[in-house]
Amino acid sequence: MAEYYYSKIHPKKFALWLGLGSIIMMFAGLTSAYIVRQAAGDWVFYKIPEVFTYSTIVIVLSSLMMILSIRAAKQGNKSLHRLGLLGTILFGFVFTLLQFRGWDQLTEIGVRLTGNPSGSFLYLISGIHLAHLLGGILVLLIVFIKSLIKKDPVKEILETSNPDRFLGLELASTYWHFVGVLWIYLFCFFYYNTI
Amino acid sequence: MYSLIGILAVALLILILFQLAKAGEYLGLLKGEKEANDRNNQVQATLFLGTLVFGMIGIFWSAWYYSDAFLFLRTPASEHGGAVKNMYFWTLGAILPIFVLTHALLFGFAYIYKKDDSKLSFYYPENNKLELIWMAVPAVVMVFLVLEGMRNWLKIMGPVPEDRTVLVIEATAQQFKWDLRFSGLDGKLGGKSVQLMDPENGNPWGQDWDDKANYDDFFAKDSIVLPVNVPVLVKINSLDVLHSFYLPDFQVKMDAVPGIPTQFWFTPIKTTEQRRVELNQPDYNYELACAELCGKAHFNMRRELFIVEQDQYEDWVKRQEPLYKTLKASASLEEEVEESDETIAAEY
Amino acid sequence: MASTDINVGTHTHDDHHHDHHDDHHEELNFFTKYVFSQDHKIIARQFLVTGVLWAVIGVAFSVLFRLQLGWPDESFPILETLLGGWAEGGKLDPEFYYALVTMHGTIMVFFVLTAGLSGTFSNLLIPLQIGARDMASPFMNMLSYWFFFIAGVIMLISLFIQTGPASGGWTAYPPLSALPTASSGSGLGMTLWLASMSMFVVSSLLGGLNYVATILNMRTKGMTMMRLPLTIWAFFFTAVLGVLSFPVLLSACILLIFDRHMGTSFYLSDIWIQGELLTNSAGEIIEGGSPILYQHLFWFLGHPEVYIVILPAMGIVSHVMATNAKKPVFGYHAMVYSIMAITVLGFLVWAHHMFLSGMNPFAGSVFTLFTLLIAVPSAVKVFNWITTLWKGNINFTPAMMFSIGFVSLFISGGLTGIVLGNPALDIGYHDTYYVIAHFHIVMAMAAGFGMFAGIYHWFPKLFNGRMMNANMAYLHFWVTFIGSYCIFWPMHYLGEAGVPRRYFSFSEFDFANGFADLNIFISVAAIVVFFAQFLFIINFFYSIFAGKKMEKLNPWGSNSLEWTTPIVPGHGNWVGKIPEVFRWPYDFSKDGHEITPQTTSEKDLEDIPAVKRIPTR
Ligand code: HEM
Ligand SMILES: [Cu+2]
Ligand SMILES: [Cu+2]
Repeated sequence: MAEYYYSKIHPKKFALWLGLGSIIMMFAGLTSAYIVRQAAGDWVFYKIPEVFTYSTIVIVLSSLMMILSIRAAKQGNKSLHRLGLLGTILFGFVFTLLQFRGWDQLTEIGVRLTGNPSGSFLYLISGIHLAHLLGGILVLLIVFIKSLIKKDPVKEILETSNPDRFLGLELASTYWHFVGVLWIYLFCFFYYNTI
Repeated sequence: MYSLIGILAVALLILILFQLAKAGEYLGLLKGEKEANDRNNQVQATLFLGTLVFGMIGIFWSAWYYSDAFLFLRTPASEHGGAVKNMYFWTLGAILPIFVLTHALLFGFAYIYKKDDSKLSFYYPENNKLELIWMAVPAVVMVFLVLEGMRNWLKIMGPVPEDRTVLVIEATAQQFKWDLRFSGLDGKLGGKSVQLMDPENGNPWGQDWDDKANYDDFFAKDSIVLPVNVPVLVKINSLDVLHSFYLPDFQVKMDAVPGIPTQFWFTPIKTTEQRRVELNQPDYNYELACAELCGKAHFNMRRELFIVEQDQYEDWVKRQEPLYKTLKASASLEEEVEESDETIAAEY
Repeated sequence: MASTDINVGTHTHDDHHHDHHDDHHEELNFFTKYVFSQDHKIIARQFLVTGVLWAVIGVAFSVLFRLQLGWPDESFPILETLLGGWAEGGKLDPEFYYALVTMHGTIMVFFVLTAGLSGTFSNLLIPLQIGARDMASPFMNMLSYWFFFIAGVIMLISLFIQTGPASGGWTAYPPLSALPTASSGSGLGMTLWLASMSMFVVSSLLGGLNYVATILNMRTKGMTMMRLPLTIWAFFFTAVLGVLSFPVLLSACILLIFDRHMGTSFYLSDIWIQGELLTNSAGEIIEGGSPILYQHLFWFLGHPEVYIVILPAMGIVSHVMATNAKKPVFGYHAMVYSIMAITVLGFLVWAHHMFLSGMNPFAGSVFTLFTLLIAVPSAVKVFNWITTLWKGNINFTPAMMFSIGFVSLFISGGLTGIVLGNPALDIGYHDTYYVIAHFHIVMAMAAGFGMFAGIYHWFPKLFNGRMMNANMAYLHFWVTFIGSYCIFWPMHYLGEAGVPRRYFSFSEFDFANGFADLNIFISVAAIVVFFAQFLFIINFFYSIFAGKKMEKLNPWGSNSLEWTTPIVPGHGNWVGKIPEVFRWPYDFSKDGHEITPQTTSEKDLEDIPAVKRIPTR
């Protein structure tokens, strides 16, 4: 990459940030559709199930694990790095389960996918968010498996001089934090727009 | 068969042209590249100039030739049509000179400044003053057009002035027809909802029979008739997909959206009779069309519209039969008529 | 012609580093080289060839439906041969007419003028003109093409299914597009349309992210932003527009898919169709949705989309004009800022397509303001192009012809935009042929001309240093240029008479029925223009394999970097180091030098004798 005089930030990182921008636009589209639709009246209000509060806490924990893991990796502490990744992934799965539980609870209180748009929107938006999160879990799994593979020691020494050696990990972690923050935004959005 | 022969002929023609073009390439090489290039520049530049001259002639001549059909050039048939017509001329006044001028410069420069090897271009990369001028001038013109446009638009879309009595009618669209409901003598349209629709039992539009305003509402059977010089408020709705209520002569157009009623008000100022005389077409009719794609017969949702004098309109109204009355008449054969209904009907 | 030897100014830092990707040593078989290639130049070719093939299909569709509009009473046996049951007795079925119109619009806008134009030239020119070996992520770039390919395959399949392709217009407004009972194209055809569009969105996003990241991060030494060719600026803002607006289309599509298949009611409310009230599978009445919501989401993409189509063409035209007039683009900075202004305003005008959808009239007036404001940067661009020609030294290469044609079309179509942007006038013109005339001239034809200009200009860089035949190109230009005006100019007159668009036949209405001659004229012109495109197609495919070989490295006398690569650049573009850049790309006819490539430093310049010509112009 030394050829590029103007690179201040790795192009792949930049592309990821842009991609996040475009995911933001998608959710901005969905949430503004929500607001526009809500303003049009004929809107059924309900209380957002408590489980979603727990899933919010879980996703925060998972992000903390990620921070731990990446820090460990940079300090060369491989086992802690792996452990952190595993924790991140596990919390990710717990989040997924909690989301499903949340949908069940919604159905129990009579808010269904096919009823008033107020409910449909919640299912749809949280569903699309979950799809993004599952994509993140997939990436993390790949990173995790890679971290298990033993490397040729010579190569490993050579690697240490490569400024981009944590690139994959960093990309994954940026995405993961983003998906987490996105959920927190969505949670607040629903929280203040329901009830 | 003919199509096949035609396509073969075209293919042959194109192949011949291609051979000629290839031959031209080699010929150019023979003659010397520079000469060939100079001659080509001369030819293309001349063609651009010719396009400018004949193109402009063609454009203005054809516009004049078809101008009889331009709705904006006719005397307006609706009140707001006049304001819109002014707007039309303002806008044309702004864009036509620019159209001619920019094209004259574009093709003119192409002709004048064709390549000449004895000269170099004029190195002229920037002039902020010029940029500023040709930013400011269009900006000023645009602001004027925006303000005028907004003013007219808000007036057209705004409420009917308080001091005018308005005739409220309702247009219901469905694949593929328009149904026009008039409010009858009480001047009020009764309630209506898709959930009450029951065509089998004589309620094809879901009128609410608990709402007495519905008793005298009637649907125009063949032609739609409206009085001249009376503001008409059209409430527009659709039962299935999007449609658009479109009266070309009156500058009226508004989408019909299922679930979300829309409306448009306008005042016809020319009776059908007057229009016929004016256009010298004794069988001219105002027409109602659909202007939003709604399915396979979208192009065929026609109704005729007659604008008549007030007294003729009243005569017409008297001849119309409210759905409720028809329904009662047939129902009374089977069941006894409810008393309260009788008294209401008697009021009119 | 070029009097400057390119190599004089090429600083290659002769020390031989090994840090650049040396893909020349890689073993490439046919598949990795031409099919799953990650080389931006090959991907550009793939986009171009796919786009050209789609263009043939899309334009052929317009000829089919023009047959119906021109000769409504005639029957064409060939239609039955081609379309079978859709044209029994040689007469087009109305349902299929709408399917053709819908496919024509979708194919032309998305597959030809978005993927075919922006995909081709962003891929080809971004690395070559900024001095990069490839895109930021060649792999994503390859995915971008293959997602586009899949989108195309799905759309193609939908043409052959029994109920026919989607027929609700390229805008696919619900409820028509949401209710399979409303029209036969709203069944499986619409499902495939949505699937195809979703794939297309993914493709555009992958492409757009890459373009922006590459432009911002991978410029060669000395290539500051203000030294970028205008093509790159245009691709940059095009990509930004796409990245920010396509996801919203995806949202719109997802909501529509849910309404179609999951029984939700985002867009649907109180619908009575086929003699019954619409309910979902659970038997509940569908209510509470708003079809207008879809329109907002759709046009939030849809309007930026028209700029996604036109901006690359503008960039290409600016670059080609300067190069062939041997004169700097007038007002480079103004050009950049006006693209920027168009990009920003482009996001703020979407609802001008919805003036008559029943939306709040005050909202309508805000959108009027922004809409007419876009005319200002557009006007600046037009005046700058014209001034670029003034006192130039114009060589009419085929690309230059199409560029001048572009400016003419952009003026003609842009001016009627001022008419349509005024809501008071749009009451009359909305959904009439006036709109068809407007957007075909300003967007469809203009962008098409930009694409032709680009192809004729960069053909040697696309296809191994071969050139297209110029004589064919001139013929192609003149027939297409005059022909396009003959097709679309008279449509203004139909619009002035109030004739609605998307009408299968005009004979049902007196006000629309009086234009039989005009419609025949338009249809004849359309057929001529259609066949004239084969002048291009034959030239194109012939020249790929047997075109005249380029003799000079820099055949048009351009200043930009792409012409410093070898005649047939390998993967990695430059042999050895990437050249350094010392100036902007438009130093034409400066200080007695006809051209001064970007790679020429001030010191090099001293060594090059000036051309002894008197600059009388
Ligand atoms: C020879 C070339 C072309 C001809 C003769 C042609 C003709 C037409 C006509 C007559 C219609 C209106 C049909 C109707 O409303 O019933 C139409 C619609 C349309 N055309 Fe073209 N066109 C051509 C090229 C293009 C190109 C290059 C584009 C690229 C943007 C394009 C985009 C569209 C779109 C978006 C529509 C609207 C489709 C819809 O209503 O959903 N056309 N075309
Ligand atoms: Cu319709
Ligand atoms: Cu727009």
